[in-house]
Amino acid sequence: MSLLIYGLINSVILALYTAGFSLCYGISGIANFSHGALYILSGFTAWNFLNAAGLPFYLAAVLSVIITAILGFLFYWVLLLRVRGTPLAELIVTFAAGMGMLELLTWKGFYGMRYSLPLSMKGGIEIGPVAIDFQRLFVVGTGVALVFLLWFFVHHTRLGLAFRAMAQNERTALSVGIESDWVGSLSMALGAALAAIAAMVILPLGMMESSIGLEVLIYALAVAIVGGLESTLGMIVGSFIIGFGQIAAARYIGAKWMIIVPLAAIVLVLVIKPSGIFGKFKELEERV
Amino acid sequence: MKRRIIVMALVFLFAGFPFFMQPQEGACADPIVIGVPTSLYTPFGSYGLKAVNLAVEEINAKGGVAVGNVKRPLKVVVADTRDGEPGTPVHDALMAYEKMITEQKPAAIVIGAFRSEVLIAAMDLVAKYKVPHLGTIAQTPVFQAQFKKDPAKYKYLFRVTTDALVDATYIAHTLDMVKKDLGLDKILYIYQDTLWAKAFAGLMQKHCKETGWTEVGYEAYADGASDFSPALTKAKEGKAQVIGMVWDVPLGAGVFAKQYVAMKVPSLLVGFIPPMGSPIAPKVVGPEVEYGMTVEFPVGATLALAKLPKTGEFLDKFKKKYGELPEPPAVNSSAYDSVFVLASAIERAGSLDPDKITEALEKTDYPGVSGKIKFNQDHIMVFGEKSAEETGVCVVFQWQKDKDGNLKRVPIYPEFLAEGKIQLPPWMKK
Repeated sequence: MSLLIYGLINSVILALYTAGFSLCYGISGIANFSHGALYILSGFTAWNFLNAAGLPFYLAAVLSVIITAILGFLFYWVLLLRVRGTPLAELIVTFAAGMGMLELLTWKGFYGMRYSLPLSMKGGIEIGPVAIDFQRLFVVGTGVALVFLLWFFVHHTRLGLAFRAMAQNERTALSVGIESDWVGSLSMALGAALAAIAAMVILPLGMMESSIGLEVLIYALAVAIVGGLESTLGMIVGSFIIGFGQIAAARYIGAKWMIIVPLAAIVLVLVIKPSGIFGKFKELEERV
Repeated sequence: MKRRIIVMALVFLFAGFPFFMQPQEGACADPIVIGVPTSLYTPFGSYGLKAVNLAVEEINAKGGVAVGNVKRPLKVVVADTRDGEPGTPVHDALMAYEKMITEQKPAAIVIGAFRSEVLIAAMDLVAKYKVPHLGTIAQTPVFQAQFKKDPAKYKYLFRVTTDALVDATYIAHTLDMVKKDLGLDKILYIYQDTLWAKAFAGLMQKHCKETGWTEVGYEAYADGASDFSPALTKAKEGKAQVIGMVWDVPLGAGVFAKQYVAMKVPSLLVGFIPPMGSPIAPKVVGPEVEYGMTVEFPVGATLALAKLPKTGEFLDKFKKKYGELPEPPAVNSSAYDSVFVLASAIERAGSLDPDKITEALEKTDYPGVSGKIKFNQDHIMVFGEKSAEETGVCVVFQWQKDKDGNLKRVPIYPEFLAEGKIQLPPWMKK
């Protein structure tokens, strides 16, 4: 029972880590390697609003999501515009920006035992012998709601349809008046906002430190590579494979092997099906 | 006229004689460089450095350190080894060490490596460059084993703090009290898969096996772990009455503490869990820290003890200078003491020659904040559980509510430092 429940919770956490990264890549082809840095930056931004400005947590969280989204948007125009279309350069630029942010946070003293966001709700319930706190249920609820909202957004809104058009064929999308740079920058903003939303619900479970940024990036990459970089369904399946894999490894082999699971999954998938389980981008190359 | 000149010259000479005989104040003298290569952006490293700077400031305010007949100020140089951050390769930390030694040429090193794996690897480097090294963070007993292999080579290395076995012994004896006074005897261990924590958990496990505890689990986690639900579930399902936890990375320990609270695990926490032992724990983790027990090694790291006034004096000075108490319940007082131990050794050596300083360090007999500082034949500070006037000492405290309902850390072990008894949480009473 606990394997099922905590496997599910762990999977949803991984899906939330990955949602913004996967969506951004799916729409604009930008592998945003500053995703993890944006995640933890949003956490520290909220902490500052909460503790330095004295704002209530929900307001601090909303402001933090907005600021992170704006940052993602600006990243595109300031850093990515000149290297747009060169995937390796895009990757290097976003990675460097992310590392720069993490180092800056560390240098400014954002480490140690004092940085922690409050729980949205205290207490919990018991399902059989397994106790679950409301915050983890809130994480699961947020994950489910986000998947639904994203589906609604990309299928039933003009902007979402433009995103899909761009994802399917950039040239055709351009020919019907969809501006590539705007969609690219908005996809970066949306990806950053999703990272921040994930941070607002997951970070209260523990403490904050800049090194979390790298951890989130590694998990997001692992899930995206396993599921297929641009595939939303792949992201969900990848999260569940790694999420349940980690909890099962801890239970049956030993807790210290949990950290190996995502790395082993990356290696296995790259050997067996490099495009990922639901990936399409490289599938044709693989067939050839 | 000639006679008057000779008389005046003699008067000047004799008047000035005491001045020449006394060590000269250090304003113009070259500073003595002390190196601090450690993981600066971790609580242990950053608060340790603050403690070192506090000690240096005090010594310099009194004119510095007498080297022969010249008083020289101390100057601290730092290098960030980053070895307290998960994923930093040992090699990178060693490069930072070597760069500092070769470029800054410190007369001695204090604090040193954070991670035990780095300390062990750095031993050869320190021996090669012959720099007296007073380590105050890394806790592995492998240090002694390595030292014993070639004492002549490793003679420059000293440990001015506890090792994991000392900390674990305090916890083992606290567990004896828990068993005897509270009647608990089922334990699950959770530890970080690093050298020092393995040694700590191993000693706890051995002691508990010998004293009749039932083991529910022995769980190692990678130091970057961020989900402890499998072990906590095991504790709940196995009805563990005590969780023996050993963890030093604040992030993981913080996640654990919050998860333990969230999952309502009905087990008493005992061990070393920095965020639960820190003075700001009730604010950061929550009021659920109540009843948690942590070993503070050595005394004076964060908690002022009524029976050891020096701990309070150090912490008052620290708070006055930095506006806050140190956060991690470990090794801050060791960093502070290490500077005085070094200064005393330099004065007794009368030279900055590393061999002479090492010889003087071996004869150290210094009453520090952390207790009496003496080294054994393996250059390890001697610790005991009886008296701070004879050895270094640690303390185990429990978070308890006072009469006004405020959470306070109450020393419960060793007996001579205890200010209260262990309390059993009401949710554990049968």
